[in-house]
Amino acid sequence: MSQYHYNPALNARDEVYDAAGTMKEHWRYLMESLEAMGPEAYQRRHEKALRILRDDGATYNIYTEQDSPVHTWKLDLIPSVIASDEWAAIEAGLQERAELFDLLLKDIYGPRDLIRTGVIPPEALFCHPGFLRPCQGISVPGNHQLILHSVDLMRDGSGDMCVLNDRTQAPSGAGYALENRTVMSRVLPSIFRDSHVHRLALYFQTLRATVANLCTTQDQPRVVILTPGTHNETYFEHAYLANYLGFHLVQSGDLVVRNGFVWMKALEGLSRVDVILRRVDDWFCDPVELRSDSQLGVPHLLDVARTGRVVIANPLGAGILESPIFLKYLPAISQALIGRPLRLKTVKTLWLGDGKDYQQVVSNLDQWVIKPISRSMGLTSQCGALLSNQEKSTLLEAIQAAPHKYVAQPMMSASNIPTFQDGEVVPRPGLLRSFAVASNTSYSVMPGGLTRVGVTENAFIISNQTGSQSKDTWVVASEPERIVTNLPGPDSALPMRDAELISLPSRVVENLFWMGRYAERTESVLRLMRTVFVMFSGEEVVSSDCRRILLNSVTELTATKPGFIDCDKEILYAPESELFRVVTDSQLAGSVRSNLNAMLYCADESKELLSSDTLRVINDIHDALSELDMGLTSAFGSAPEEALDPLVTALMALSGLAQESMLRGMGWRFMQMGRRLERAMQTTTLIRNILVKEVDVTDQNMLIQALLLTLENLISYRRRYRGRMGVQSSLDLVVLDTSNPRSLLYQLEQLSTHVKALPKASETRHELRLEERTALEAETLIRMMQLRTMCLREEGQRIHLDQTLAQLTDVLGSLSQYISDRYFAHKTPSQQLVTPTWGSQ
Amino acid sequence: MRYRVTHITEYLYHEPVSHCFNLANVIPRSTKRQRCTNNRVTVEPAVASCSQSEDYFGNMAYHFEIQRSHKKLSICSESDIKTGPQTLLMELDQGITCGDALAHMATSTDVETLMAKEYLFNSPIIQSNEALKAYALPLFAEDRPLLDAVMAFTQQIFDEFTYCPKSTHIGTPLPEVLEKKRGVCQDFAHLQIGCLRALGFPAKYVSGYIETLPPPGKEKLVGSDASHAWISVYCPSEGWIEFDPTNRCLVGEQHIITAWGRDYSDVAPLKGVIYGGGEAPIMNVSVDVTQVE
Repeated sequence: MSQYHYNPALNARDEVYDAAGTMKEHWRYLMESLEAMGPEAYQRRHEKALRILRDDGATYNIYTEQDSPVHTWKLDLIPSVIASDEWAAIEAGLQERAELFDLLLKDIYGPRDLIRTGVIPPEALFCHPGFLRPCQGISVPGNHQLILHSVDLMRDGSGDMCVLNDRTQAPSGAGYALENRTVMSRVLPSIFRDSHVHRLALYFQTLRATVANLCTTQDQPRVVILTPGTHNETYFEHAYLANYLGFHLVQSGDLVVRNGFVWMKALEGLSRVDVILRRVDDWFCDPVELRSDSQLGVPHLLDVARTGRVVIANPLGAGILESPIFLKYLPAISQALIGRPLRLKTVKTLWLGDGKDYQQVVSNLDQWVIKPISRSMGLTSQCGALLSNQEKSTLLEAIQAAPHKYVAQPMMSASNIPTFQDGEVVPRPGLLRSFAVASNTSYSVMPGGLTRVGVTENAFIISNQTGSQSKDTWVVASEPERIVTNLPGPDSALPMRDAELISLPSRVVENLFWMGRYAERTESVLRLMRTVFVMFSGEEVVSSDCRRILLNSVTELTATKPGFIDCDKEILYAPESELFRVVTDSQLAGSVRSNLNAMLYCADESKELLSSDTLRVINDIHDALSELDMGLTSAFGSAPEEALDPLVTALMALSGLAQESMLRGMGWRFMQMGRRLERAMQTTTLIRNILVKEVDVTDQNMLIQALLLTLENLISYRRRYRGRMGVQSSLDLVVLDTSNPRSLLYQLEQLSTHVKALPKASETRHELRLEERTALEAETLIRMMQLRTMCLREEGQRIHLDQTLAQLTDVLGSLSQYISDRYFAHKTPSQQLVTPTWGSQ
Repeated sequence: MRYRVTHITEYLYHEPVSHCFNLANVIPRSTKRQRCTNNRVTVEPAVASCSQSEDYFGNMAYHFEIQRSHKKLSICSESDIKTGPQTLLMELDQGITCGDALAHMATSTDVETLMAKEYLFNSPIIQSNEALKAYALPLFAEDRPLLDAVMAFTQQIFDEFTYCPKSTHIGTPLPEVLEKKRGVCQDFAHLQIGCLRALGFPAKYVSGYIETLPPPGKEKLVGSDASHAWISVYCPSEGWIEFDPTNRCLVGEQHIITAWGRDYSDVAPLKGVIYGGGEAPIMNVSVDVTQVE
């Protein structure tokens, strides 16, 4: 028997085997196929899956880790399998539950009849921090107030599916479920195909249509996904869904309220936002009426939602439905609102704010899992039986001080699902998160959902924050599934607006601009470093004058003064440690590593616009970066320049991709402007540092070679001038020759072209804007250059060359500033009119 | 009584404010004993947009946005209001006793009592504690009529606390107010609410105005009236009854209500977010309450 044979745990419920030890029919095909595949093939597919996830940039951030909170999403290739007839019952139960929670939400922010009639005790609602009084009376168009509803389900001891909690704030996981499915269908194509798995597409189509239809005033509403930002644990999913659904991904700083509407700060001005699919918790959304210290909010957002001029899903205030206190009263709530008990079981829940429940729990803590009533309170669930006596008394004290802040649920063990871990298939307890979205008449439920399994066999908390693996969930049909068409119908919800193509949030455009600049900056520094390494270890002797000029250029180009400026002569002959620092020190502003980190940050901020090929190259840069120290240290003895090659190659690939496969929209233009501007600036600095100073002929030849090598022009130069190194002829090639894509003038021409193409107001169509004039000024300055004058020397300096290049540097600096002023959003600091001295609730 | 109230709030900033989003609670609500027949809010500089809506507590919230740069913000609310006295079914010393009221709170399922419980729990500014309970407890004997006890308590706060306009800023922690025995009307209201809640009686914070009469023989000065705050306590046999600890009285016709909530944070006259403005703006408030025939 191979190690890939699955042995269920004794004395525990198992998904694959029934109590008698017989394999359930709907698992048979999968288990047999996996076993037939054998360990090696399985391992290869597993690695392939990891690669795909990484290439897709599928990550999950773990908050408690300071240094490297970004983890590749964990997917186990053995799916969780559910038979379609059982699923039909679960689905009906989930729909019913979503309907009930919708009614509950309407009552909480409406008449509160459940309190008036004594179904829920007043303190269950009024003392909960998630009950947001300013949200009273906000109404979303359509039949439902609750748009998205998720629950965590597990199979309990009796074999029934049982709900552990509801997620209504901003349920996460649907995007990860989709990514899991995408990977699975690629890695195990034949098993997947033959298993007749219910598709996920319909759920996402309904989601897209429902969200778009929330706007009743526009035919083509602008929908945005509001993310807290790149540091958020599920940021990957926000970008992924934005991409998949075709919505804009925005952060709160991209949104602003003006004249009673919500707008997105876009390149061409403000674009109105009609619907916000929020991934920011409700109490953070508006510093005027909700948490006043929130940095994630948009002032007055709530008031705009109140007047119905923007629709937010889930509506602000919906987070209250996550309160586990409601679970205690659910049977009564259900009876009151729909006149019958819910079909789907709910975990037994005691609320310690209730006197009887309190007694029952504190008298026997070992039986219970104690949970806070709100995730916002910074408390975690604790399992009574696993606590030391000391911990128990601490917990009891906390409970006694504020019993209404806790609920208790019995210890339950979820049934096991086979899971691949450390080379074996082992039983692990599993949880299923379901996803429901409001549709016209009821709720549409994703078939399956996101399964997560415990890290150990007896794991009591199963959460991605504790490192759990996820699984695809297969609802397998006994007969072939109806084919759901993926093509939008004739009157589908979201035809493209003309303006949509260029309407990007300014923040994204700004990040693309800087991504271009940082990429180019790093590349030119790396090229110069390579030249220095090659020259210093070459056959020809490099004089100390020459060394000083080259090393000064490194310092100037990276702006890492003092560096080599005025350094001792010994250092000229032993520059390794400073060079090493300039490459690898992340704390040194201007170093290769800090530039690349900045570039990677910009890439993350504009992730939803980057192609999967680009994401793969970004991964390569990550890799090259992490191997840089090792490579350089071990290579300093011989050919250190080779350690830099992988990075240069990856950066070349990045610029190639942008050139070859990026849509020629505004995003591309800004990235190109960043690149051209940066390359022009770097080339100017380089020429100035290398050619201005007069040196003897041997050194001059060597420096010209260094310049040409760095700019990748040495070969062309030699062809053209047969090896005679002259200042004038080299300036001709690196400054004026527009057939040379690395020449200065080429950059300036390109810059002018891009600047001209930027959006402008119609009334000034023919007048040159400030940035156009500035680009033209830069271009003209170089076009008017006379090479003979440039080469004139005074007191050992090519003074005209120096002046012209200094002037160009200034003009380019202004140009960058003007572009930034006009097109990028600038955050003005805000403050509360009256600073509250009391804490935010 | 009929009143015309003019309430002007001014903010003077040290640096220009380019933009602001505000929420004002300056429009008097209508209640059982009061009707606001007419109101006008004027903001300077002019608002770019505004909206008026009834909030969770039934108060009139006025939201506005200003888009032009300014160093002075002024908001003026003018209202015509008709007020009446509180009507009690029984004399203060004859109603339900403290003990019966607590028993009623614990067991009753009538709607008014259930909904009154919202005002029994901690709120952003008022956190109940043992010291607050101990301070008021001796007055609330089990067999004493509740409202009689509250009146005595109102008197006690008046007697033992010093009214001191500069002594606190709004939101002074209650333990500090209790210890120093000084404050302004908001502090006294918060303190009284905190004690009542600690004893198990629901209590609301009420903001508004009070008509002040000039000293005999003098002209009344414009703007000399103050914005004011007092409390309302829930008595099972009478409903919500207002008391004014700053003036040791049962609230009467000369008390004009603007808004009520759990504490000051629910009814702050003006709050919001501003862009720019520098540090510590100067605030001026002027209130004018005039009786009209």
